[in-house]
Amino acid sequence: MNASLITLELCVIALGTALLLADFWVPAERKKYLAYAAIAALTGLLVISFSGQGVCSLGGSAFHGSFVNDALAVFFKRLFLTAAILVLFVVLQFSSRVPGAISEYYSLVLFALAGMLFAASANDFPMLFVSIELITITFYVLTSFQRSKIASLEAGVKYLILGALSSSFMIFGIALIWGTTGKLNFNDLAAVAPQFATSKLFVLGVLLVLSGLGFKIAAFPFQIWAPDVYQGAPTPTTAFLAIGSKAAGFVLLLRFLFTAVPCLTTHWSSLLIIISCITILYGNLCALPQRNLKRLLAYSSISHAGYLLLGVAALNTAGIAAILYYFAGYLFTVLAAFTVIAIVFKNLESEEISGLAGLSQRSPFLAASMTFAMVSLAGIPPLAGFFGKFLLLKAVIAQGAATHDHGYYWLAAITLVGVVISMYYYFGVVRAIYWSRETADLTPIELDGPAKVSLALCVAGIFWLGLFPNTILDLANEAAKSLGV
Amino acid sequence: MHVGLEHYLTVSFLLFSLGLLGVILRRNLLVIYMSLELMLNSANLALVSFSRYNGKLDGQVLVFFIITVAAAEVAVGLALIVALYRKRQSAHVEDLTSMKL
Repeated sequence: MNASLITLELCVIALGTALLLADFWVPAERKKYLAYAAIAALTGLLVISFSGQGVCSLGGSAFHGSFVNDALAVFFKRLFLTAAILVLFVVLQFSSRVPGAISEYYSLVLFALAGMLFAASANDFPMLFVSIELITITFYVLTSFQRSKIASLEAGVKYLILGALSSSFMIFGIALIWGTTGKLNFNDLAAVAPQFATSKLFVLGVLLVLSGLGFKIAAFPFQIWAPDVYQGAPTPTTAFLAIGSKAAGFVLLLRFLFTAVPCLTTHWSSLLIIISCITILYGNLCALPQRNLKRLLAYSSISHAGYLLLGVAALNTAGIAAILYYFAGYLFTVLAAFTVIAIVFKNLESEEISGLAGLSQRSPFLAASMTFAMVSLAGIPPLAGFFGKFLLLKAVIAQGAATHDHGYYWLAAITLVGVVISMYYYFGVVRAIYWSRETADLTPIELDGPAKVSLALCVAGIFWLGLFPNTILDLANEAAKSLGV
Repeated sequence: MHVGLEHYLTVSFLLFSLGLLGVILRRNLLVIYMSLELMLNSANLALVSFSRYNGKLDGQVLVFFIITVAAAEVAVGLALIVALYRKRQSAHVEDLTSMKL
Protein backbone atom coordinates (compact mmCIF):
# COMPACT_ATOMS: atom_id res chain seq x y z
CA MET A 1 0.00 0.00 0.00
CA ASN A 2 1.52 3.25 -1.10
CA ALA A 3 -1.10 5.96 -0.80
CA SER A 4 1.34 8.78 -1.56
CA LEU A 5 1.07 7.80 -5.23
CA ILE A 6 -2.17 9.75 -5.56
CA THR A 7 -0.56 13.03 -4.43
CA LEU A 8 -0.90 14.52 -7.91
CA GLU A 9 -4.62 13.79 -8.07
CA LEU A 10 -5.15 15.13 -4.54
CA CYS A 11 -3.28 18.33 -5.46
CA VAL A 12 -5.53 18.87 -8.47
CA ILE A 13 -8.71 18.26 -6.45
CA ALA A 14 -7.49 20.57 -3.68
CA LEU A 15 -6.73 23.23 -6.29
CA GLY A 16 -10.22 22.90 -7.76
CA THR A 17 -11.84 23.19 -4.33
CA ALA A 18 -9.64 26.15 -3.43
CA LEU A 19 -10.71 27.97 -6.60
CA LEU A 20 -14.35 27.29 -5.78
CA LEU A 21 -13.88 28.80 -2.32
CA ALA A 22 -11.77 31.72 -3.53
CA ASP A 23 -14.68 32.66 -5.77
CA PHE A 24 -16.47 34.02 -2.67
CA TRP A 25 -13.82 36.66 -1.94
CA VAL A 26 -12.48 37.59 -5.36
CA PRO A 27 -14.32 40.49 -7.02
CA ALA A 28 -15.71 39.90 -10.49
CA GLU A 29 -13.17 41.95 -12.40
CA ARG A 30 -10.30 39.98 -10.82
CA LYS A 31 -11.70 36.52 -11.56
CA LYS A 32 -9.17 35.98 -14.33
CA TYR A 33 -6.38 35.91 -11.75
CA LEU A 34 -7.92 32.68 -10.47
CA ALA A 35 -7.28 31.18 -13.89
CA TYR A 36 -3.71 32.47 -13.85
CA ALA A 37 -3.25 30.87 -10.43
CA ALA A 38 -4.65 27.56 -11.70
CA ILE A 39 -2.43 27.69 -14.79
CA ALA A 40 0.63 28.44 -12.65
CA ALA A 41 -0.16 25.62 -10.22
CA LEU A 42 -0.74 23.07 -12.99
CA THR A 43 2.46 24.17 -14.73
CA GLY A 44 4.26 23.64 -11.44
CA LEU A 45 2.85 20.11 -11.15
CA LEU A 46 3.84 19.40 -14.77
CA VAL A 47 7.40 20.59 -14.18
CA ILE A 48 7.64 18.53 -10.99
CA SER A 49 6.44 15.45 -12.85
CA PHE A 50 9.19 15.93 -15.45
CA SER A 51 11.93 16.62 -12.92
CA GLY A 52 11.87 13.00 -11.82
CA GLN A 53 11.88 14.16 -8.20
CA GLY A 54 9.09 14.21 -5.69
CA VAL A 55 5.87 12.32 -5.29
CA CYS A 56 4.33 13.09 -8.67
CA SER A 57 6.57 10.71 -10.58
CA LEU A 58 6.78 7.70 -8.26
CA GLY A 59 6.30 4.29 -9.79
CA GLY A 60 4.42 1.37 -8.35
CA SER A 61 0.89 0.49 -7.40
CA ALA A 62 -1.40 1.37 -4.53
CA PHE A 63 -4.70 0.29 -2.99
CA HIS A 64 -4.26 -3.45 -3.67
CA GLY A 65 -3.28 -2.90 -7.28
CA SER A 66 -6.30 -0.81 -8.25
CA PHE A 67 -4.11 2.24 -8.87
CA VAL A 68 -0.90 1.85 -10.88
CA ASN A 69 1.60 4.56 -11.70
CA ASP A 70 3.65 3.03 -14.51
CA ALA A 71 5.26 4.80 -17.46
CA LEU A 72 1.99 4.69 -19.41
CA ALA A 73 0.07 6.39 -16.60
CA VAL A 74 2.78 9.04 -16.17
CA PHE A 75 2.81 9.77 -19.93
CA PHE A 76 -0.94 10.29 -20.00
CA LYS A 77 -0.89 12.35 -16.79
CA ARG A 78 1.58 14.78 -18.35
CA LEU A 79 -0.60 14.90 -21.45
CA PHE A 80 -3.72 15.68 -19.38
CA LEU A 81 -1.92 18.35 -17.36
CA THR A 82 -0.70 20.06 -20.54
CA ALA A 83 -4.18 19.82 -22.05
CA ALA A 84 -5.79 21.35 -18.95
CA ILE A 85 -3.29 24.23 -18.91
CA LEU A 86 -3.98 25.07 -22.55
CA VAL A 87 -7.75 24.63 -22.05
CA LEU A 88 -7.63 27.14 -19.18
CA PHE A 89 -6.08 29.60 -21.64
CA VAL A 90 -9.03 29.01 -23.95
CA VAL A 91 -11.42 29.56 -21.02
CA LEU A 92 -9.77 32.94 -20.43
CA GLN A 93 -10.68 33.93 -23.99
CA PHE A 94 -14.17 32.65 -23.48
CA SER A 95 -14.91 34.17 -20.06
CA SER A 96 -16.86 37.15 -21.40
CA ARG A 97 -19.61 34.79 -22.58
CA VAL A 98 -20.36 33.16 -19.22
CA PRO A 99 -20.48 36.16 -16.89
CA GLY A 100 -20.70 35.61 -13.15
CA ALA A 101 -19.91 31.92 -12.99
CA ILE A 102 -16.54 31.66 -14.62
CA SER A 103 -14.60 30.40 -11.60
CA GLU A 104 -16.94 27.42 -11.35
CA TYR A 105 -15.89 26.68 -14.90
CA TYR A 106 -12.22 26.71 -13.84
CA SER A 107 -12.85 24.30 -10.99
CA LEU A 108 -14.96 22.00 -13.16
CA VAL A 109 -12.09 21.80 -15.64
CA LEU A 110 -9.84 20.82 -12.74
CA PHE A 111 -12.28 18.19 -11.45
CA ALA A 112 -12.52 16.68 -14.92
CA LEU A 113 -8.73 16.73 -15.01
CA ALA A 114 -8.66 14.82 -11.70
CA GLY A 115 -10.94 12.21 -13.25
CA MET A 116 -8.60 11.90 -16.22
CA LEU A 117 -5.57 11.52 -13.95
CA PHE A 118 -7.33 8.74 -12.04
CA ALA A 119 -8.32 7.14 -15.35
CA ALA A 120 -4.67 7.10 -16.44
CA SER A 121 -3.86 4.96 -13.42
CA ALA A 122 -7.02 2.86 -13.20
CA ASN A 123 -6.22 -0.82 -12.98
CA ASP A 124 -9.48 -2.34 -11.82
CA PHE A 125 -13.16 -2.02 -12.66
CA PRO A 126 -14.40 0.18 -9.78
CA MET A 127 -11.58 2.62 -10.49
CA LEU A 128 -12.34 2.54 -14.22
CA PHE A 129 -16.04 3.16 -13.62
CA VAL A 130 -15.67 5.90 -11.03
CA SER A 131 -12.97 7.80 -12.93
CA ILE A 132 -14.91 7.65 -16.19
CA GLU A 133 -18.05 8.87 -14.42
CA LEU A 134 -16.13 11.68 -12.73
CA ILE A 135 -15.07 12.84 -16.19
CA THR A 136 -18.47 12.36 -17.82
CA ILE A 137 -20.64 13.95 -15.11
CA THR A 138 -18.33 16.96 -14.97
CA PHE A 139 -18.60 17.24 -18.72
CA TYR A 140 -22.43 17.26 -18.56
CA VAL A 141 -22.14 20.48 -16.59
CA LEU A 142 -19.32 21.88 -18.71
CA THR A 143 -21.27 21.18 -21.90
CA SER A 144 -24.44 22.95 -20.77
CA PHE A 145 -22.59 25.78 -19.07
CA GLN A 146 -24.01 28.54 -21.29
CA ARG A 147 -27.47 28.26 -19.78
CA SER A 148 -28.80 31.19 -21.79
CA LYS A 149 -28.01 29.43 -25.06
CA ILE A 150 -30.44 26.76 -26.22
CA ALA A 151 -27.82 24.87 -28.25
CA SER A 152 -25.64 24.46 -25.18
CA LEU A 153 -28.49 23.04 -23.09
CA GLU A 154 -29.52 20.76 -25.89
CA ALA A 155 -25.98 19.49 -26.30
CA GLY A 156 -25.85 18.89 -22.55
CA VAL A 157 -29.07 16.87 -22.53
CA LYS A 158 -27.99 14.79 -25.52
CA TYR A 159 -24.64 14.09 -23.90
CA LEU A 160 -26.43 13.24 -20.66
CA ILE A 161 -28.82 10.70 -22.19
CA LEU A 162 -26.24 8.98 -24.37
CA GLY A 163 -23.56 9.17 -21.68
CA ALA A 164 -25.83 7.59 -19.09
CA LEU A 165 -26.80 4.93 -21.64
CA SER A 166 -23.18 4.06 -22.31
CA SER A 167 -22.34 3.92 -18.61
CA SER A 168 -25.23 1.56 -17.99
CA PHE A 169 -23.89 -0.67 -20.77
CA MET A 170 -20.50 -0.55 -19.20
CA ILE A 171 -21.67 -1.29 -15.68
CA PHE A 172 -23.74 -4.23 -16.89
CA GLY A 173 -20.66 -5.51 -18.69
CA ILE A 174 -18.63 -5.17 -15.50
CA ALA A 175 -21.33 -7.07 -13.60
CA LEU A 176 -21.18 -9.94 -16.12
CA ILE A 177 -17.37 -10.06 -16.12
CA TRP A 178 -17.22 -10.05 -12.34
CA GLY A 179 -20.02 -12.57 -12.08
CA THR A 180 -18.31 -15.10 -14.35
CA THR A 181 -14.70 -14.65 -13.26
CA GLY A 182 -14.96 -13.25 -9.73
CA LYS A 183 -12.13 -10.79 -10.45
CA LEU A 184 -12.21 -7.00 -10.54
CA ASN A 185 -8.49 -6.29 -10.79
CA PHE A 186 -7.11 -6.25 -14.36
CA ASN A 187 -3.99 -8.30 -13.54
CA ASP A 188 -5.99 -10.94 -11.65
CA LEU A 189 -8.50 -11.02 -14.49
CA ALA A 190 -5.77 -11.58 -17.09
CA ALA A 191 -4.62 -14.65 -15.17
CA VAL A 192 -8.03 -16.34 -15.23
CA ALA A 193 -9.51 -14.90 -18.45
CA PRO A 194 -8.25 -17.66 -20.83
CA GLN A 195 -10.39 -20.32 -19.14
CA PHE A 196 -13.48 -18.14 -19.59
CA ALA A 197 -12.76 -17.21 -23.22
CA THR A 198 -15.54 -19.50 -24.43
CA SER A 199 -18.10 -18.37 -21.84
CA LYS A 200 -20.81 -16.39 -23.63
CA LEU A 201 -21.62 -14.27 -20.58
CA PHE A 202 -17.98 -13.29 -20.17
CA VAL A 203 -17.55 -12.32 -23.83
CA LEU A 204 -20.82 -10.36 -23.73
CA GLY A 205 -19.53 -8.53 -20.66
CA VAL A 206 -16.27 -7.63 -22.40
CA LEU A 207 -18.19 -6.36 -25.44
CA LEU A 208 -20.46 -4.22 -23.23
CA VAL A 209 -17.46 -2.66 -21.48
CA LEU A 210 -15.86 -2.02 -24.87
CA SER A 211 -19.03 -0.26 -26.06
CA GLY A 212 -18.90 2.01 -23.01
CA LEU A 213 -15.29 2.90 -23.80
CA GLY A 214 -16.13 3.26 -27.50
CA PHE A 215 -18.57 5.97 -26.50
CA LYS A 216 -15.84 7.92 -24.73
CA ILE A 217 -13.53 7.85 -27.74
CA ALA A 218 -16.40 8.45 -30.20
CA ALA A 219 -15.71 5.36 -32.33
CA PHE A 220 -18.31 3.93 -34.71
CA PRO A 221 -21.10 2.91 -33.86
CA PHE A 222 -21.02 5.00 -30.65
CA GLN A 223 -20.11 8.31 -32.27
CA ILE A 224 -23.65 9.60 -32.66
CA TRP A 225 -23.42 12.14 -29.82
CA ALA A 226 -20.21 13.80 -30.95
CA PRO A 227 -21.36 16.30 -33.64
CA ASP A 228 -24.20 17.86 -31.62
CA VAL A 229 -22.25 17.99 -28.37
CA TYR A 230 -19.15 19.48 -30.00
CA GLN A 231 -21.22 22.08 -31.79
CA GLY A 232 -23.43 23.12 -28.88
CA ALA A 233 -20.89 23.04 -26.07
CA PRO A 234 -18.87 26.13 -25.13
CA THR A 235 -15.61 26.19 -27.12
CA PRO A 236 -13.24 25.38 -24.20
CA THR A 237 -15.42 22.39 -23.30
CA THR A 238 -15.29 21.17 -26.88
CA ALA A 239 -11.51 21.48 -26.83
CA PHE A 240 -11.26 19.52 -23.58
CA LEU A 241 -13.68 16.89 -24.89
CA ALA A 242 -11.70 16.50 -28.09
CA ILE A 243 -8.40 15.85 -26.38
CA GLY A 244 -8.88 15.06 -22.68
CA SER A 245 -11.98 12.92 -22.76
CA LYS A 246 -10.79 11.03 -25.83
CA ALA A 247 -7.34 10.39 -24.38
CA ALA A 248 -8.88 9.18 -21.11
CA GLY A 249 -11.05 6.77 -23.09
CA PHE A 250 -7.99 5.52 -24.95
CA VAL A 251 -5.84 4.92 -21.89
CA LEU A 252 -8.66 2.91 -20.31
CA LEU A 253 -9.20 1.05 -23.58
CA LEU A 254 -5.50 0.18 -23.81
CA ARG A 255 -5.37 -1.02 -20.21
CA PHE A 256 -8.56 -3.01 -20.55
CA LEU A 257 -7.62 -4.66 -23.85
CA PHE A 258 -3.96 -5.35 -23.16
CA THR A 259 -3.82 -5.81 -19.38
CA ALA A 260 -7.20 -7.33 -18.51
CA VAL A 261 -8.27 -9.45 -21.50
CA PRO A 262 -5.20 -9.91 -23.76
CA CYS A 263 -6.35 -13.47 -24.52
CA LEU A 264 -9.48 -12.11 -26.26
CA THR A 265 -7.83 -9.06 -27.82
CA THR A 266 -5.37 -11.13 -29.83
CA HIS A 267 -8.30 -12.91 -31.51
CA TRP A 268 -10.25 -9.76 -32.17
CA SER A 269 -7.90 -8.00 -34.57
CA SER A 270 -10.46 -8.19 -37.40
CA LEU A 271 -13.16 -6.59 -35.23
CA LEU A 272 -10.77 -3.75 -34.38
CA ILE A 273 -9.77 -3.36 -38.02
CA ILE A 274 -13.40 -3.12 -39.16
CA ILE A 275 -14.35 -0.59 -36.47
CA SER A 276 -11.29 1.47 -37.29
CA CYS A 277 -12.06 1.45 -41.05
CA ILE A 278 -15.71 2.45 -40.60
CA THR A 279 -14.85 5.16 -38.07
CA ILE A 280 -12.29 6.71 -40.44
CA LEU A 281 -14.62 6.66 -43.44
CA TYR A 282 -17.67 7.83 -41.47
CA GLY A 283 -15.84 10.75 -39.86
CA ASN A 284 -14.22 11.94 -43.05
CA LEU A 285 -17.22 11.55 -45.36
CA CYS A 286 -19.65 13.23 -42.95
CA ALA A 287 -17.24 16.13 -42.43
CA LEU A 288 -17.34 17.05 -46.13
CA PRO A 289 -20.66 18.99 -46.26
CA GLN A 290 -20.29 20.72 -42.86
CA ARG A 291 -20.47 24.49 -42.65
CA ASN A 292 -20.14 24.87 -38.89
CA LEU A 293 -16.51 24.81 -37.87
CA LYS A 294 -17.03 23.08 -34.51
CA ARG A 295 -19.24 20.45 -36.12
CA LEU A 296 -16.59 19.91 -38.76
CA LEU A 297 -13.99 19.43 -36.04
CA ALA A 298 -16.35 16.95 -34.34
CA TYR A 299 -16.45 14.77 -37.44
CA SER A 300 -12.72 15.26 -37.79
CA SER A 301 -12.32 14.07 -34.21
CA ILE A 302 -14.35 10.96 -35.01
CA SER A 303 -12.03 10.21 -37.92
CA HIS A 304 -9.02 10.78 -35.65
CA ALA A 305 -10.46 8.22 -33.22
CA GLY A 306 -10.42 5.87 -36.22
CA TYR A 307 -6.75 6.66 -36.96
CA LEU A 308 -5.88 6.11 -33.30
CA LEU A 309 -7.64 2.73 -33.38
CA LEU A 310 -5.08 1.70 -36.00
CA GLY A 311 -2.55 1.55 -33.20
CA VAL A 312 -4.88 -0.61 -31.10
CA ALA A 313 -5.62 -2.94 -34.01
CA ALA A 314 -1.90 -3.34 -34.69
CA LEU A 315 -1.65 -5.24 -31.37
CA ASN A 316 2.03 -4.44 -30.96
CA THR A 317 4.18 -2.12 -28.89
CA ALA A 318 4.96 0.08 -31.90
CA GLY A 319 1.25 0.67 -32.41
CA ILE A 320 0.69 1.72 -28.80
CA ALA A 321 3.73 4.02 -28.90
CA ALA A 322 2.30 5.53 -32.09
CA ILE A 323 -1.03 6.21 -30.31
CA LEU A 324 0.78 8.01 -27.50
CA TYR A 325 2.83 10.08 -29.94
CA TYR A 326 -0.27 10.88 -31.98
CA PHE A 327 -2.04 12.15 -28.87
CA ALA A 328 0.86 14.47 -28.07
CA GLY A 329 0.65 15.97 -31.55
CA TYR A 330 -3.16 16.03 -31.55
CA LEU A 331 -3.13 17.90 -28.23
CA PHE A 332 -1.26 20.93 -29.61
CA THR A 333 -3.05 20.83 -32.96
CA VAL A 334 -6.58 20.72 -31.60
CA LEU A 335 -5.95 23.28 -28.91
CA ALA A 336 -4.42 25.68 -31.45
CA ALA A 337 -7.57 25.33 -33.55
CA PHE A 338 -9.96 25.84 -30.63
CA THR A 339 -8.01 28.78 -29.21
CA VAL A 340 -8.35 30.50 -32.59
CA ILE A 341 -12.06 29.64 -32.70
CA ALA A 342 -12.61 31.03 -29.18
CA ILE A 343 -10.94 34.31 -30.17
CA VAL A 344 -12.33 34.83 -33.67
CA PHE A 345 -15.93 33.90 -32.87
CA LYS A 346 -16.03 35.91 -29.64
CA ASN A 347 -18.74 38.25 -30.88
CA LEU A 348 -20.49 36.00 -33.39
CA GLU A 349 -23.60 33.96 -32.75
CA SER A 350 -22.49 30.69 -34.38
CA GLU A 351 -19.22 29.21 -35.59
CA GLU A 352 -19.80 29.12 -39.36
CA ILE A 353 -16.66 28.58 -41.45
CA SER A 354 -17.52 31.73 -43.39
CA GLY A 355 -16.84 33.70 -40.21
CA LEU A 356 -13.14 33.04 -40.80
CA ALA A 357 -13.24 35.15 -43.99
CA GLY A 358 -10.61 37.83 -44.06
CA LEU A 359 -8.81 36.46 -41.01
CA SER A 360 -5.50 36.72 -42.86
CA GLN A 361 -5.95 40.50 -42.85
CA ARG A 362 -7.59 40.80 -39.44
CA SER A 363 -4.82 38.92 -37.68
CA PRO A 364 -2.04 37.18 -39.64
CA PHE A 365 -0.88 35.33 -36.52
CA LEU A 366 -4.30 33.78 -35.88
CA ALA A 367 -4.59 32.91 -39.57
CA ALA A 368 -1.20 31.23 -39.55
CA SER A 369 -1.97 29.30 -36.34
CA MET A 370 -5.26 28.01 -37.71
CA THR A 371 -3.55 27.05 -40.98
CA PHE A 372 -0.83 25.12 -39.17
CA ALA A 373 -3.48 23.34 -37.09
CA MET A 374 -5.47 22.34 -40.19
CA VAL A 375 -2.35 21.24 -42.09
CA SER A 376 -1.24 19.18 -39.09
CA LEU A 377 -4.69 17.59 -38.75
CA ALA A 378 -4.61 16.74 -42.45
CA GLY A 379 -1.24 15.06 -41.93
CA ILE A 380 1.10 17.00 -44.19
CA PRO A 381 4.83 16.91 -43.45
CA PRO A 382 6.68 18.28 -41.56
CA LEU A 383 4.04 18.89 -38.88
CA ALA A 384 3.11 16.71 -35.90
CA GLY A 385 0.04 15.15 -37.51
CA PHE A 386 2.05 13.70 -40.36
CA PHE A 387 4.57 11.93 -38.21
CA GLY A 388 1.86 10.49 -35.98
CA LYS A 389 -0.04 9.03 -38.93
CA PHE A 390 3.22 7.73 -40.38
CA LEU A 391 4.00 5.86 -37.15
CA LEU A 392 0.49 4.39 -36.96
CA LEU A 393 0.65 3.18 -40.57
CA LYS A 394 4.13 1.77 -40.02
CA ALA A 395 2.94 -0.22 -37.00
CA VAL A 396 -0.06 -1.56 -38.91
CA ILE A 397 1.96 -2.60 -41.96
CA ALA A 398 4.61 -4.22 -39.78
CA GLN A 399 1.90 -6.26 -38.08
CA GLY A 400 0.45 -7.15 -41.49
CA ALA A 401 3.82 -8.42 -42.64
CA ALA A 402 4.29 -10.37 -39.41
CA THR A 403 0.89 -12.08 -39.42
CA HIS A 404 0.18 -12.27 -43.19
CA ASP A 405 -3.26 -10.86 -42.47
CA HIS A 406 -4.53 -8.94 -45.50
CA GLY A 407 -6.92 -7.00 -43.30
CA TYR A 408 -4.02 -4.85 -42.12
CA TYR A 409 -3.15 -3.80 -45.68
CA TRP A 410 -6.80 -2.93 -46.32
CA LEU A 411 -6.79 -0.88 -43.12
CA ALA A 412 -3.68 1.01 -44.27
CA ALA A 413 -5.25 1.64 -47.68
CA ILE A 414 -8.50 2.94 -46.16
CA THR A 415 -6.53 5.20 -43.85
CA LEU A 416 -4.79 6.73 -46.87
CA VAL A 417 -8.16 7.21 -48.59
CA GLY A 418 -9.45 8.87 -45.42
CA VAL A 419 -6.46 11.20 -45.29
CA VAL A 420 -7.00 12.22 -48.91
CA ILE A 421 -10.71 12.92 -48.29
CA SER A 422 -9.86 14.92 -45.18
CA MET A 423 -7.54 17.24 -47.15
CA TYR A 424 -10.61 18.58 -48.95
CA TYR A 425 -12.38 19.89 -45.89
CA TYR A 426 -9.28 20.97 -43.98
CA PHE A 427 -8.21 23.04 -46.95
CA GLY A 428 -11.74 24.41 -47.20
CA VAL A 429 -11.02 26.05 -43.84
CA VAL A 430 -7.65 27.36 -45.04
CA ARG A 431 -9.32 28.69 -48.19
CA ALA A 432 -11.90 30.55 -46.11
CA ILE A 433 -9.06 32.19 -44.16
CA TYR A 434 -6.97 33.37 -47.12
CA TRP A 435 -9.02 33.39 -50.29
CA SER A 436 -12.62 33.96 -49.24
CA ARG A 437 -14.49 36.52 -51.33
CA GLU A 438 -17.12 37.33 -48.74
CA THR A 439 -15.19 39.73 -46.55
CA ALA A 440 -17.74 40.90 -44.04
CA ASP A 441 -15.72 42.44 -41.26
CA LEU A 442 -12.10 43.51 -41.54
CA THR A 443 -11.55 45.07 -38.13
CA PRO A 444 -8.19 43.87 -36.80
CA ILE A 445 -8.30 41.44 -33.87
CA GLU A 446 -6.24 42.49 -30.87
CA LEU A 447 -4.63 39.57 -29.07
CA ASP A 448 -4.00 39.78 -25.34
CA GLY A 449 -0.88 38.37 -23.71
CA PRO A 450 -2.24 34.98 -22.58
CA ALA A 451 -3.69 34.29 -26.03
CA LYS A 452 -0.32 34.98 -27.65
CA VAL A 453 1.45 32.73 -25.15
CA SER A 454 -0.92 29.78 -25.55
CA LEU A 455 -1.03 30.00 -29.35
CA ALA A 456 2.74 30.30 -29.54
CA LEU A 457 3.03 27.22 -27.30
CA CYS A 458 0.63 25.24 -29.49
CA VAL A 459 2.33 26.20 -32.75
CA ALA A 460 5.76 25.52 -31.26
CA GLY A 461 4.46 22.13 -30.10
CA ILE A 462 3.13 21.28 -33.56
CA PHE A 463 6.49 22.07 -35.18
CA TRP A 464 8.61 20.58 -32.42
CA LEU A 465 6.80 17.24 -32.55
CA GLY A 466 6.96 17.18 -36.33
CA LEU A 467 10.62 18.15 -36.71
CA PHE A 468 12.20 16.67 -33.59
CA PRO A 469 10.04 13.68 -32.68
CA ASN A 470 12.71 11.76 -30.78
CA THR A 471 12.16 13.08 -27.25
CA ILE A 472 8.45 12.33 -27.15
CA LEU A 473 8.91 9.14 -29.14
CA ASP A 474 11.36 7.79 -26.55
CA LEU A 475 8.88 8.58 -23.78
CA ALA A 476 6.07 6.97 -25.80
CA ASN A 477 8.12 3.83 -26.46
CA GLU A 478 9.00 3.50 -22.80
CA ALA A 479 5.33 3.99 -21.83
CA ALA A 480 4.14 1.47 -24.41
CA LYS A 481 6.59 -1.13 -23.11
CA SER A 482 5.10 -0.87 -19.63
CA LEU A 483 1.90 -2.35 -20.99
CA GLY A 484 3.84 -5.51 -21.88
CA VAL A 485 2.13 -6.49 -25.14
CA MET B 1 -39.86 -23.61 -6.27
CA HIS B 2 -36.23 -22.87 -5.51
CA VAL B 3 -35.09 -19.45 -6.68
CA GLY B 4 -31.56 -19.67 -8.04
CA LEU B 5 -28.96 -17.40 -9.60
CA GLU B 6 -30.39 -17.86 -13.09
CA HIS B 7 -33.77 -16.47 -11.99
CA TYR B 8 -32.20 -13.33 -10.63
CA LEU B 9 -30.11 -12.96 -13.77
CA THR B 10 -33.19 -13.42 -15.96
CA VAL B 11 -34.96 -10.64 -14.07
CA SER B 12 -31.86 -8.49 -14.38
CA PHE B 13 -31.66 -9.07 -18.16
CA LEU B 14 -35.39 -8.33 -18.47
CA LEU B 15 -35.04 -5.08 -16.56
CA PHE B 16 -32.03 -4.10 -18.69
CA SER B 17 -33.92 -4.81 -21.93
CA LEU B 18 -37.02 -2.95 -20.70
CA GLY B 19 -34.86 0.04 -19.82
CA LEU B 20 -33.16 -0.04 -23.21
CA LEU B 21 -36.53 -0.29 -24.97
CA GLY B 22 -37.76 2.67 -22.93
CA VAL B 23 -34.75 4.76 -23.91
CA ILE B 24 -35.27 3.93 -27.58
CA LEU B 25 -39.06 4.15 -27.79
CA ARG B 26 -40.18 6.79 -25.32
CA ARG B 27 -40.23 10.45 -26.30
CA ASN B 28 -40.28 12.22 -22.95
CA LEU B 29 -36.89 13.09 -21.49
CA LEU B 30 -37.93 12.30 -17.93
CA VAL B 31 -39.26 8.87 -18.89
CA ILE B 32 -36.07 8.21 -20.85
CA TYR B 33 -34.10 9.18 -17.78
CA MET B 34 -36.13 6.81 -15.61
CA SER B 35 -35.46 4.02 -18.09
CA LEU B 36 -31.75 4.75 -17.83
CA GLU B 37 -31.96 4.39 -14.05
CA LEU B 38 -33.72 1.09 -14.58
CA MET B 39 -30.77 -0.10 -16.68
CA LEU B 40 -28.27 0.93 -14.01
CA ASN B 41 -30.28 -0.83 -11.32
CA SER B 42 -30.54 -3.99 -13.38
CA ALA B 43 -26.74 -4.10 -13.28
CA ASN B 44 -26.93 -3.61 -9.52
CA LEU B 45 -29.28 -6.54 -9.22
CA ALA B 46 -26.94 -8.72 -11.27
CA LEU B 47 -23.97 -7.72 -9.12
CA VAL B 48 -25.78 -8.37 -5.86
CA SER B 49 -27.07 -11.76 -6.94
CA PHE B 50 -23.64 -12.83 -8.26
CA SER B 51 -22.23 -11.65 -4.97
CA ARG B 52 -24.73 -13.70 -2.99
CA TYR B 53 -24.19 -16.88 -4.97
CA ASN B 54 -20.39 -16.66 -5.33
CA GLY B 55 -19.97 -15.82 -1.66
CA LYS B 56 -17.81 -12.73 -2.35
CA LEU B 57 -18.49 -9.20 -1.23
CA ASP B 58 -16.68 -7.24 -3.98
CA GLY B 59 -19.85 -6.99 -6.02
CA GLN B 60 -21.86 -5.58 -3.13
CA VAL B 61 -19.20 -2.93 -2.55
CA LEU B 62 -19.23 -2.04 -6.24
CA VAL B 63 -23.01 -1.58 -5.98
CA PHE B 64 -22.45 1.15 -3.39
CA PHE B 65 -20.17 2.94 -5.83
CA ILE B 66 -22.76 2.62 -8.59
CA ILE B 67 -25.58 3.95 -6.40
CA THR B 68 -23.46 6.94 -5.40
CA VAL B 69 -22.46 7.72 -8.97
CA ALA B 70 -26.05 7.27 -10.17
CA ALA B 71 -27.24 9.73 -7.52
CA ALA B 72 -24.70 12.31 -8.72
CA GLU B 73 -25.76 11.67 -12.29
CA VAL B 74 -29.45 12.18 -11.40
CA ALA B 75 -28.69 15.42 -9.57
CA VAL B 76 -26.92 16.85 -12.61
CA GLY B 77 -29.30 15.30 -15.12
CA LEU B 78 -32.55 16.54 -13.58
CA ALA B 79 -31.10 20.03 -13.18
CA LEU B 80 -30.21 19.98 -16.86
CA ILE B 81 -33.62 18.76 -17.95
CA VAL B 82 -35.32 21.42 -15.82
CA ALA B 83 -33.06 24.12 -17.31
CA LEU B 84 -33.96 22.93 -20.79
CA TYR B 85 -37.66 22.84 -19.92
CA ARG B 86 -37.56 26.44 -18.72
CA LYS B 87 -35.99 27.52 -21.97
CA ARG B 88 -38.06 25.42 -24.35
CA GLN B 89 -41.29 24.78 -22.39
CA SER B 90 -41.03 21.17 -23.47
CA ALA B 91 -39.27 17.98 -22.39
CA HIS B 92 -39.76 16.04 -25.59
CA VAL B 93 -36.95 14.73 -27.73
CA GLU B 94 -38.65 15.90 -30.94
CA ASP B 95 -37.98 19.47 -29.84
CA LEU B 96 -34.23 18.98 -29.54
CA THR B 97 -33.55 20.07 -33.09
CA SER B 98 -31.61 23.32 -32.93
CA MET B 99 -28.50 21.71 -34.44
CA LYS B 100 -28.53 20.13 -37.87
CA LEU B 101 -26.11 19.09 -40.66
